[in-house]
Amino acid sequence: MQERHDSYDVNLFRPKKGYMGGEVGIIFIILFGWGVVTFGFQFAVWLLGPHGSSILTEVTFFNLPFHFWFTGQFLPLWFILLCIVFNLYIDRLTERHSRRRDRTYE
Amino acid sequence: MNSSSANIWPLVIVAGVLTSFILVGLYSKARESGEYGFSGRYIGRIGGGAAIASNWMSAASFLGMAGLLYLKGYFALAYVIGWTGGYVLLLVMMAGQIRRFGKYTAPDFVGDRYASPTARLVSAVISITISIIYCIAQFKGIGMVFAWLFGITYKGGVMLGALAVVSYVVVCGMLGVARNQQMQYFVIIVTFIAPLMVLAFKLGYFWLLPQFGYGAAMQDLVREFNLNFADPFASGSLFQWLALCFTLMVGTAGLPHVLSRFYVVPNVRDARWSVVWGLFFIALIYWSAPAYAVFGRLIEARGGIHFDAEAANKMADIVVIRTAVMGGLPTWLVGILAAGGVSAAFSTVAGLLMTGATSFSHDIYYRLVNPGASEAKKMAIAKGSFLSLAALVLILAVEPPGLIAEITAVAFALAGNTIFPVFLLGIWWGRTNRQGAIAGMLAGIVITFATPLFGRFVPIVATLFPVTSSALCGAPLVTAIMVFVSLFTSPPPSEVSRFLAQEVHGHLD
Repeated sequence: MQERHDSYDVNLFRPKKGYMGGEVGIIFIILFGWGVVTFGFQFAVWLLGPHGSSILTEVTFFNLPFHFWFTGQFLPLWFILLCIVFNLYIDRLTERHSRRRDRTYE
Repeated sequence: MNSSSANIWPLVIVAGVLTSFILVGLYSKARESGEYGFSGRYIGRIGGGAAIASNWMSAASFLGMAGLLYLKGYFALAYVIGWTGGYVLLLVMMAGQIRRFGKYTAPDFVGDRYASPTARLVSAVISITISIIYCIAQFKGIGMVFAWLFGITYKGGVMLGALAVVSYVVVCGMLGVARNQQMQYFVIIVTFIAPLMVLAFKLGYFWLLPQFGYGAAMQDLVREFNLNFADPFASGSLFQWLALCFTLMVGTAGLPHVLSRFYVVPNVRDARWSVVWGLFFIALIYWSAPAYAVFGRLIEARGGIHFDAEAANKMADIVVIRTAVMGGLPTWLVGILAAGGVSAAFSTVAGLLMTGATSFSHDIYYRLVNPGASEAKKMAIAKGSFLSLAALVLILAVEPPGLIAEITAVAFALAGNTIFPVFLLGIWWGRTNRQGAIAGMLAGIVITFATPLFGRFVPIVATLFPVTSSALCGAPLVTAIMVFVSLFTSPPPSEVSRFLAQEVHGHLD
């Protein structure tokens, strides 16, 4: 084990197997959900209505134009959900690997 | 807004709230306060979240965000998204790892990870600069509220406010007042939302959840006055929106005083869950801020007040209070609102200036100038630095360079272009070395200020690196510079690489 540590140079794109591999996997999934939904939606608003008006701006939701609701109200909620998913996954991952090492949590 | 006479009741309420912070702080003084900002008994995940939110809430969130929304409508939602989305980046890429690295401040992390006093110095200078820029925005908020409270000019207000905030910090320091951040968050959220509910009620909108109630007000603005508050990209292009949003996100994940929060909670698991609660508490304010802006525009339009861009720009930063006054809220309720804004700004100034002063005393004076300095000497230097920083911020805030949120965004851009890449690569790429870190941070400083420095001569610079939004192109560029320089220079010391592999990324191997 020790030799493997010594030879390993930390790299996000080449994680170690085990805990780090699982952690990096969930990081990429969360970042994908974070980036695509946040920036992808703005692209969609722009693509569908380069001069402002489109189906996304005309449909209303909770009395707000849909794009305004999505950006101003849903996205912060989306970020909270992403954080919850990340934490639940990391909790399970940590517990699994802690048990494997036969030691108490953290 | 009428500022010709003092507003006595609001003034009394503001003074009362600040005094109550001191009294509660004295009451809970019993606990040990080792180092500024990092002390405190265990307060659970929700309490930890409230502390994160309270630490985050400043005049930019309380006053500035609604001001920008009032001026720019949908475009300003980039602030809402940037300042919440950044916490996702922070949680997934940094929080646990920084915690396992075990260094409290940005200069400590940089100095140890890159085994370089020079890198430590550069990061300390950057951290102090970030504090100064951030505080200029806070002073502007304090100045505008004090000008209204005392019925004086902005210049008078900012000087009086500076005197008040410095006195507040000094009194708290002399009495050894502990910061009760949970109480502070409670005060901020109640003082922000209670007046908003009353305002929604008076205007005839859904007042129980004004965060949803303002939708009908937006529709009324369109129907009655043909004023489309939600027009996307009316105040800026898609690129400008994305650049601003991304800059605020990476800035959030790179702000030294935000990064330091992960040491308050005793274990990593609770620290991670505190972020979720913190984000929720922050979002409560950000879901509400657009309502003040929409109600403000509606009250004005109904009152026949013509929207003059120049005049609006001047008072946008106090639009929260102005809307409350114009909406006919009772004076005491407006006072409560003002007290929330002042306490958000005061606590931010106190935290940032003290951290900046401690950083100067510890990272620059003790580490580089006089390593043999006694604790008393270090403390004296920290006190002197605090007063000097406050004076410098005051001088710069007398003629503020922009709106509160815009000034704050520059601090985020600097953090996003310097601290963020240095932490990101420092944690996730073992090959990054001190030459790479130093080159990256210096490049990040130049990129952040590229538009004011070269924008007039090279227009493409102003387009790619807007002063408030330079990190969309800047952070990747700095990262590339760090990788390039690191690859062409010698690897970092083997102990650092081993520590990173074993302790930061191998704690459960």
